[in-house]
Amino acid sequence: MYNKKMVSCVLGVMCFALTLGICVQMRTVQETNQTVSNNRQENNLRAEVLRYKERYENRSRDVERAEADLEKERQNSIQNNSALQEKEEQIQQGNKIIGLAEVKGPGIKITLKDNKKDIKNALNPSDLVVHDEDILSVINELRNAGAEAISINGQRIVPTTGIICGGNIIDINREKVGVPFVIEAIGLPEQLAALERPYGYLDILKGYGIEVKLERSNNITIPKYNGTLTYNYAKTIK
Amino acid sequence: MIFIAILIGCILGALIGMNAPMISYTYSSYLAIAIIAALDSVFGGITSVINKNFDLKIFATGFFGNAILAILLTILGQKLNVDIYLAAIVVFVGRMFVNLAIIRRHYVDKWSETIKQKRTSVKEEK
Repeated sequence: MYNKKMVSCVLGVMCFALTLGICVQMRTVQETNQTVSNNRQENNLRAEVLRYKERYENRSRDVERAEADLEKERQNSIQNNSALQEKEEQIQQGNKIIGLAEVKGPGIKITLKDNKKDIKNALNPSDLVVHDEDILSVINELRNAGAEAISINGQRIVPTTGIICGGNIIDINREKVGVPFVIEAIGLPEQLAALERPYGYLDILKGYGIEVKLERSNNITIPKYNGTLTYNYAKTIK
Repeated sequence: MIFIAILIGCILGALIGMNAPMISYTYSSYLAIAIIAALDSVFGGITSVINKNFDLKIFATGFFGNAILAILLTILGQKLNVDIYLAAIVVFVGRMFVNLAIIRRHYVDKWSETIKQKRTSVKEEK
C-alpha cells in the first residue's frame, strides 16, 4: 500500500522523537531530584520553589554576563592611559580588601558539623548544634590570627556582613546557610592553625561534641561578595 | 529495512537526548504528558497491526497530534487551575493497558496454537 522507504522514514523519525523526549525528561527529573509526593499542595509548592530557583539562576547569569561586559569595557578604556591604569590598580586593591574581588592564597579550612548524638540523650538540645554565636566567635578568632579574607559556605565576610540566627539555619549576608559550615580563611596557615589551641574556641566547641575539622591548605579560593555595598549615611569628613 | 530505521531512530534519539541541553523544570510536565501520549500511540499502532487495519497516516498523525493536543490541554488546565493532565494520563494509560491486553492475547493464542499443532503432528507420526 505504502512505499516501504516512506514507512521506514516515518517510523524512524517517530522513534527518534520518542526516545529523545524520554531521555531529556529522565535527565531533567534526575537533575531536579524531584520526589513525587501524594500531597498535591506539597508538589505544587516544590514546583514553585524550583521555578523561582530557575528564575534566580537566570538572573544571576545575566548579572555575571553584564559584569564581564563591564570588565571588558573597562579594560578597553584604560588600555592606553597610564593614569587610568594606576587608578584601576587602586580600585582592584580596594576591592580585594572590602571583598568585591575573588582572592586566592594559603590558609585554613574549618568544617563545623552538629553533634550526631540523639537529641533524647542530651541534657540541653541546644548544645548539640552550631549556633550563630559560635560562627561569630570563630570569625573573631580568625581575624585576631590575621586572616585577610574569610568566607562561610561561599559567603564572603565583608564590612557589612551580619551573622544572625535564623532558626535551624544561619543568615549570613542575608542568605541562608546551613550545616555543615565550611569556614575558609586566607592568611598565614601556621598562625591561623593556632585556633586549635587548648581552650581556644574550637576546643570549647569540641567539648560540646561539635565535629570540628581544621585543615591547612596552600590553595584556598574565596569568592567575592555577591551583593552591593551601600553607604547612604556615612559621609567623609574633609 | 523498517527495523533498521526504527533502530537507527532509537539510537540517534538516545544519543542526542543524553547530550541535549536540559529543558527547564517548568516545561518538564508538558514533555511528560507528550511522552505518555506518544507511547499510547505506539501501542495503538501495534494493536492495529495485529488487527490488520494499520494505516500509516492515522498512526503518524495520531502520534504527533495526540502529543501536541495533550500539551495544549495541560496548558489550558494550568490556566484554568484544573488538572486536565490527570484526565489525559488516565485515558492514555488506560488505553495502553487495553492495547497491551490485546497484544498479549494475540500472541498467547498464537503460541497455544503452535503447541496444539505440534502435538497433533506427533500423534500422526505414531
